[in-house]
Amino acid sequence: MASMKKLVTPFEVLKAPHNLALVAFWLVAVIGYWYLSTTGQKHLLPSPQSVLRGLGEEYQEGLVPHIFSSLSLCGQATFWALLVSLPLAYLSTLPLFMPVIQGISKFRYLPLTGITFYLATSPLISSGRAMQVGVLVIFMSVYFVTSLLSVIADIPQEEFDHARSLKMSRWEVLWHVIVRGRIDYAIDILRQNLAIVWMMLVTVESIVMSAGGLGTIIKNADRYANHGRIFAAQLVILLIGILLDYLLSELRYSFPYVNRGSKN
Amino acid sequence: MKHSYKTEGTVLLVENVSVTIGNKTIIENINMEEHNTLRDGHAQGQMIAVVGRSGRGKSTLFKTITGLRKPSTGRILIPSNEINKPIEVQEGTVGFVDQKYTLFRHLTIYNQLKLAARKGGIPDGEIHGRVMDLLNKWGLEKAKDQYPCHCSGGQRQRAAIMSQLLSSGYFLVLDEPFSGLDVGNVEDVKSMLRLVNTSHELSTIIFSTHDIELAVELADKIYVLGFASPSKQVGTVVASFDLKALGLAWQPYSQSHTELAKDIKTAILGS
Ligand SMILES: Nc1ncnc2c1ncn2[C@@H]1O[C@H](COP(=O)(O)OP(=O)(O)O)[C@@H](O)[C@H]1O
Ligand SMILES: [Mg+2]
Repeated sequence: MASMKKLVTPFEVLKAPHNLALVAFWLVAVIGYWYLSTTGQKHLLPSPQSVLRGLGEEYQEGLVPHIFSSLSLCGQATFWALLVSLPLAYLSTLPLFMPVIQGISKFRYLPLTGITFYLATSPLISSGRAMQVGVLVIFMSVYFVTSLLSVIADIPQEEFDHARSLKMSRWEVLWHVIVRGRIDYAIDILRQNLAIVWMMLVTVESIVMSAGGLGTIIKNADRYANHGRIFAAQLVILLIGILLDYLLSELRYSFPYVNRGSKN
Repeated sequence: MKHSYKTEGTVLLVENVSVTIGNKTIIENINMEEHNTLRDGHAQGQMIAVVGRSGRGKSTLFKTITGLRKPSTGRILIPSNEINKPIEVQEGTVGFVDQKYTLFRHLTIYNQLKLAARKGGIPDGEIHGRVMDLLNKWGLEKAKDQYPCHCSGGQRQRAAIMSQLLSSGYFLVLDEPFSGLDVGNVEDVKSMLRLVNTSHELSTIIFSTHDIELAVELADKIYVLGFASPSKQVGTVVASFDLKALGLAWQPYSQSHTELAKDIKTAILGS
């Protein structure tokens, strides 16, 4: 009884096994509700059975290659976006480049669709894949640059002063305090922005379908108004997104000076 | 017994220094002159305390003395390798330990010190030995492979002081090194500062503190920073006390020390 009361007490902390049980309880509750709420004739969500059936069909039609196609697109776009935005953010410490880089950061208010249509019809870009990468790199970069600028702005003056007091040149200060000293922050920015990027990726894939990927799967399912298949594809995309998020957060915590659950 | 001493040569000259940030003047008209103290049979450095209420510009003055901030007027001179050829201070020539004992977050204690030693121009072959020596002497050898985030405040502070000693030699400025420490740590830092101070003839330590008794106990010169008048909120030196001339330096704490502390507090409260 006392432990039941804990469940509804603000700021109460549970023991680890109790937490696990709680997660299991909610999982069962959600799936159970899903099952029950989809037994009638008319329902908002597709039933679990039809989602499973959809998943099976999608698997037959090459879900796995599509997943790898999306992952490869994500990887390529991330690679190029980092290659562009990390140096840009670091160079923002040079007065010469500051205005340019702040300008780039403003481009995040540019609509995605317009750029995509523009690049799709541009004579300079031949393949669908190159176009997809292009769109994603532009968008990832503007978000990365924005977040990196705010990380740099948040570095306490004492860290710069400490480096300077050790007779470091300005370039060494940049290297030690910003580049090496904040690499785990850069990874965390990547992780946070991945959610937006992952969503954009699926959109871009469904606009330019020639190159395959998870976006194509959703688009195909949508064409036949097959809710089970749409739902199955969504679940797959969600789970892969969560997995990527987890991997990046593990990468961040793999630095020995990063403590779990605290910012420092 | 009053210890006899002589002074010779200037170790620090702060001449008419002011700092204006934006259009706000933070400190002005700061003048300080410190000489090398000579005592027979002692390697005796200088220990200077700066006291005053919050916001009077102690930290700003310290950043200027360490070359981290350019003075708006005036200049700060310290001795160079050549006799009678003082130089203007530059970043790094004077060590600085800020109130938060900032270190590089991505380096272990050992690597911080190695980097500092390299920047201090210690030959590559001697770096490891010098660093290990210091680590042992200051009881940090066990923590040498830890990152700052896994060190206690006391350990970080010692590491920060050691970094500065390795890179800048024996001229050290510490901003409030005693604030937020427990009784044991205060004793540790006191003995550390004394150790640095007596290890080299030219060693000069400047620190700020809100603990006036501690300042009187440790320092041989005390400056009080305050506002010149209530209507003019700009920090300047409102009083200074030479404990050497008063016969209170290098002495066990006595009734005369207590009385001096009282005078200093009066000076602080009036400014
Ligand atoms: N970078 C800065 N920009 C503007 N004002 C500053 C800056 N640094 C310090 N000040 C101001 O200067 C005054 C003195 O600050 P500080 O030197 O930190 O005093 P203290 O160390 O004696 O408490 C304060 O009013 C503070 O707000
Ligand atoms: Mg201060």
